[in-house]
Amino acid sequence: MSAATILCIDDEALGLRIRKTVLEHAGYRVLTAEDGPTGLTLFRGHAIDGVVLDYFMPEMDGGAVAQAMRLERPEIPIMLLSAYINLPAEAVALVDVTLLKGEGPEELLEKLRVMLASGDSVAPGGPR
Amino acid sequence: MKLPEFNRTLRQLVALPILLLVLMAGFLVWQIVATARAQQQLDHSDQVTSQVEKLQSLFIDQETGLRGFQLTGDQVMLAPWEAAAGPIQVQFATLHGLLAADPQQSATLRDLEDRYNRWLQFARGVLAKDPKLIADPHVNQRGKQMMDGIRATAGLLQAREANMRQAQYRRAQALQGRELVSLLLSALLVGVVLALFTRHHVKTISVSYVRTIDEITGQSEALFESQQWFQTTLESIGDAVIACDIHGSVSFMNAVAENLTGWKLADAKGHPLEAVFRIVSEDTRQPAENPVEKVRRLRQVIGLANHTALLARDGREFIIDDSAAPILSGAGEMIGVVLVFRDVTEERRMESALVASEKLAVAGRLAASIAHEIHNPLDSVANLHYLLGLENDLEKRAEYLRLAQQELGRTMQISRTMLSLYREPRAPISLNLRELIEGVLLLLDRRMKHLGIQLEAQLSEPLVVEGFPAELRQVFTNLISNAIDAAGPKGRIRIRMEHAEAEELHGAGAIVEITDNGVGIPTDLLPKLFQPFFTTKGATGTGLGLWVSMGIVQKHGGAIKIGNSSEPGLPGASIRVFLPARTLAQSVEKAGC
Repeated sequence: MSAATILCIDDEALGLRIRKTVLEHAGYRVLTAEDGPTGLTLFRGHAIDGVVLDYFMPEMDGGAVAQAMRLERPEIPIMLLSAYINLPAEAVALVDVTLLKGEGPEELLEKLRVMLASGDSVAPGGPR
Repeated sequence: MKLPEFNRTLRQLVALPILLLVLMAGFLVWQIVATARAQQQLDHSDQVTSQVEKLQSLFIDQETGLRGFQLTGDQVMLAPWEAAAGPIQVQFATLHGLLAADPQQSATLRDLEDRYNRWLQFARGVLAKDPKLIADPHVNQRGKQMMDGIRATAGLLQAREANMRQAQYRRAQALQGRELVSLLLSALLVGVVLALFTRHHVKTISVSYVRTIDEITGQSEALFESQQWFQTTLESIGDAVIACDIHGSVSFMNAVAENLTGWKLADAKGHPLEAVFRIVSEDTRQPAENPVEKVRRLRQVIGLANHTALLARDGREFIIDDSAAPILSGAGEMIGVVLVFRDVTEERRMESALVASEKLAVAGRLAASIAHEIHNPLDSVANLHYLLGLENDLEKRAEYLRLAQQELGRTMQISRTMLSLYREPRAPISLNLRELIEGVLLLLDRRMKHLGIQLEAQLSEPLVVEGFPAELRQVFTNLISNAIDAAGPKGRIRIRMEHAEAEELHGAGAIVEITDNGVGIPTDLLPKLFQPFFTTKGATGTGLGLWVSMGIVQKHGGAIKIGNSSEPGLPGASIRVFLPARTLAQSVEKAGC
């Protein structure tokens, strides 16, 4: 069984790089994009099992990206990450899971596992 | 009756009696002179009569002497003859003088003198023993006849004089009678004229006096009514009113003023204002300047300094808002000072609450952006820490540690920025305006990036102004946030800072201009922008931002002007903030907020 492929989108380059390493350590295949449009291109061109999406990004925020993804492939689960507590309700309604940045990698991996498991037939990846 | 008219009447009342009495005196003098003249004539007649009698007695003396000589022939018998001769001549001369003015009596006197002279010639012949005479048997007869003629003439003279005297006496009597009647009549006339005249004038004065009294009574009634009206009006005014005389002693207070000061008018009357109206600066507790002194100095309406507290007699304290104005007489002379003030304690409390709530709103927005800034590096650090636990490769571990260090540094920088926001000095400090605005932009950076806003910050000059940094940061956060909202996604904002030269109305300082490319502000809304609770942002705005910002900038002695830009690239609102290099803001007690 191949590892699940996760698409990570965040304008914080360093944070994105570190998050990718954490997810790779957990056994996921990780694609990264530093803005919404790039992320959507990857979303369209690759087999994606889940999306970890930052909300607060210049030009195109996480809400807009999630909306575009739902229009194209609504079955793919989306986790909305944010450093901001008060996320707009319409953005929260679009996604499967939300996570506050800084809650820690264990929380990230656990929520991601649960999200992928409840999502569809794709077997959840991960070392455990 | 006017005063000149009254004076004229008084002069007439004095002058007329004097004039009448002078006339009467003249008339009486004339009468008296006439009577005196009649008396003189009487005396004249008496004199003539007595002289004639003396003359006759002298004639008898001579005749007697002559007879005695004739009978005795003795020379001694002739002594009376000799003695009378000289006096007779003197008598004649005197009588000629007395009767010179009367031709008839004069003629009779001359006749008498002729007769005497003829007798004298005859007598001298007798004495010389003229033979012709001695021979004449009728010599004695002739002598007697001659003497009889003399006596008859003298009698005539006397009889005439007596007649004249009689007539003169009657005239004098008549004159005296007339004089008496004239005196009575003229006295009566003068009395009547004076009585009538005085009566007329006194009546005029009395009528005029009564009328004046009526007028004054009417006027004082009207005056009383109007005074009552003003008094009631003053007492009914909702604001407190205190009036003072020119020396600053209280002369009037209305009920509101009595309540606020804790003094009753009856107690306060005559007390110096500063005893009744005790005011201190709310912040420093120093006594505030006596408004009466200030009005007396400036001779114009003045307002009190902000934050003035009134200390009531019973220990209560009110924040008041007031004004003082000179009371001017009709001639423009300052005769007192009137103070109008009201209790704004509740208002100030509300304002403070509003300012505090806006501060909270600003703090809330700042907290969100700070949380965002901190959570990003914290997330990275947590992830790196997690990786360090899994990784054995030393090189990778070193890389993770380095990255964690970098992210922690970022966190600390943000935390320092946040701390500086809340560390507020008690007194204004010199601050670099450029650094301050850059700090604000740093906090708003993510939001601007999120909206894709293009920021053009022209902050080249390092301008230094005095002020409270947190408050000014709040102002610029608010103004730049407004510009971000107005510009909208992919909008443009330009922030320009320049030095402002000292001008007539303000000293040197800095001007910060924030211009956006939004739709601008409708002209009719411009005057409302600085009112509390006015917002163009619907439910998302508190409507307090500009109001609070204006308060802060004004406290610093600066000004905010809002207009619309006419530049083609930036057609939206343009806000200019002036901050003076030397602030007016004073050290404050940071109590209550």
